[in-house]
Amino acid sequence: MSLPPGHPKEGLLPPGGKARSAKGALIRAAHRLGAAALIAPALLIAVFAFLVPLARLIGLSFSAPAGPFVPYAHLLGDDVYARVFANTFIIAIVVTVVALVIAFPVAFALTRLPRTWRGIVFACVLLPLWISVLVRTFSWMLLLERNGPINRFIVASGLSDQPLSLLFNHTAVLIGMVHVLLPYAVLPIYAALVRIDPALLRASEGLGASSVTTFRRVLFPLALSGVATAATFTFLLALGFFVTPALLGGASSLTLSMLIDGFVSDRLDWPLAAAASVLLLAAALVVVAVAARFVPVGAIARVHR
Amino acid sequence: MTGRLFLNAFVALTAAFLVLPILAIVPAAFSAQSFIRLPPDAWSLRWWGTFFNDVSWRVTLLASLKVAAFTTLISVVAGTAAALGIARSGPRARRLLTSLFLGPVVTPAIVLAVALYSMARATGLVGTTMALVIAHTMLALPFVVLNVGVSLDGLDRRLLLAAAGLGAGDFHIFRTVTLPLIAPGVVGGAVFAFVTSFDEVVLSIFLAGPTVKTLPVRIWEEIRLAYTPVVAVGATVMLVLALGAASANRLLSRK
Repeated sequence: MSLPPGHPKEGLLPPGGKARSAKGALIRAAHRLGAAALIAPALLIAVFAFLVPLARLIGLSFSAPAGPFVPYAHLLGDDVYARVFANTFIIAIVVTVVALVIAFPVAFALTRLPRTWRGIVFACVLLPLWISVLVRTFSWMLLLERNGPINRFIVASGLSDQPLSLLFNHTAVLIGMVHVLLPYAVLPIYAALVRIDPALLRASEGLGASSVTTFRRVLFPLALSGVATAATFTFLLALGFFVTPALLGGASSLTLSMLIDGFVSDRLDWPLAAAASVLLLAAALVVVAVAARFVPVGAIARVHR
Repeated sequence: MTGRLFLNAFVALTAAFLVLPILAIVPAAFSAQSFIRLPPDAWSLRWWGTFFNDVSWRVTLLASLKVAAFTTLISVVAGTAAALGIARSGPRARRLLTSLFLGPVVTPAIVLAVALYSMARATGLVGTTMALVIAHTMLALPFVVLNVGVSLDGLDRRLLLAAAGLGAGDFHIFRTVTLPLIAPGVVGGAVFAFVTSFDEVVLSIFLAGPTVKTLPVRIWEEIRLAYTPVVAVGATVMLVLALGAASANRLLSRK
């Protein structure tokens, strides 16, 4: 009587709540108050350490002495910045495509491997997520260095008579970013693949489809939601990447994050930095909004764990 | 059959690509030379001596541990409470709160960094432990809320009803029934919170100052100038701590 059936709070209330509706209302109010008190501390942190700073940043982006829209006009009207935007998007797209192409067969194999091997491969996919991006990027600096092991191997094997410059260019950024982001691509695809009923694949083969046809007509369409989640998350993270391109990239691989850092640290131009941040944030929100139409946003967060 | 062989070889190569490069820093930390060359021509522990004897490195490690400890404590208490509150809320509030708490996860780190740096400058908090703890708590909170939330979803509500029916009060039920049952989620959230803080670079670069500097910030600064193998020691320390956290999480979640 006190709560409609199926209400999430139903069953949480002490049984007395069902006896009289006045008492029920009181308990319900107390319950709601209790919930609010429990949420309050975390809400305070989310508001004052997340929402308020972001709102201030948006305000700051319109605070240039020359006029509120001058920083935006400056960013969107300059060829140099246009190149940085294009560069950021191209790197993010290439990293996402490469990560997906590697991740799909790995995720597929994970569904087929015997238990022990699956555990080992899973550990290899999950372990890097625990290690700081800084450490993982520094490792690549040591490996790709002029006198690093990869170059020494290249010279010793006669592939080239002098060391190649492998560091501080697009390729280094690409390798480093794929390395960091690959696990985020593997996990959602795997999650979609294990949900597929093996009977469907057997049925397809039983009806005479070749393994290529089964893959193309049955397996891949059913895994598409996982691929979409993987693509969204990889692209989203790649778009805002800072540490890896800043350490592995050269002058030509400037990304939007590095540009923002430069505006704050070197030029001390806060309105410009804020405007560039708002543009990056807007791009990220568009990606999330578009993706939310295809995949539950909760799935994105769950991948992150 | 060849297809299967090819696929397995590809998976093995990818697994190696994911894990092996990370280990490159370990031999670099045991170099006897004053520059990094892989593998080192001569081995020694001299840079480990430098790392632990040099006050400027030791304080960064201590600062990192301190910030991570405070972050873990605050985010676990506030996050667990929030997850309990969200479980009691209606569907609309639930959706709204979940998206708010997930905000920091989908916001690019550099945007959060600039926003918080500007705020910290306005309030005079740049270079303080408090600024770092607040920033890291904001980042770690979603993981605690999610982890505890998943545990709560799996909770058998009838147990709470039984406890209430037997006359137990709200707090008594929480302490003796709810908390033991969601403990794996809380502990998992704590491990995630600690690692999130200990590994964090981008926000810390902006919020740290000359007096309060975490280990990743110091490593970042050294890498951008000229670095010696002592940076590889710092990175190895971070690696070992992360692996410790990963194994702790695995052991604790097995129950």
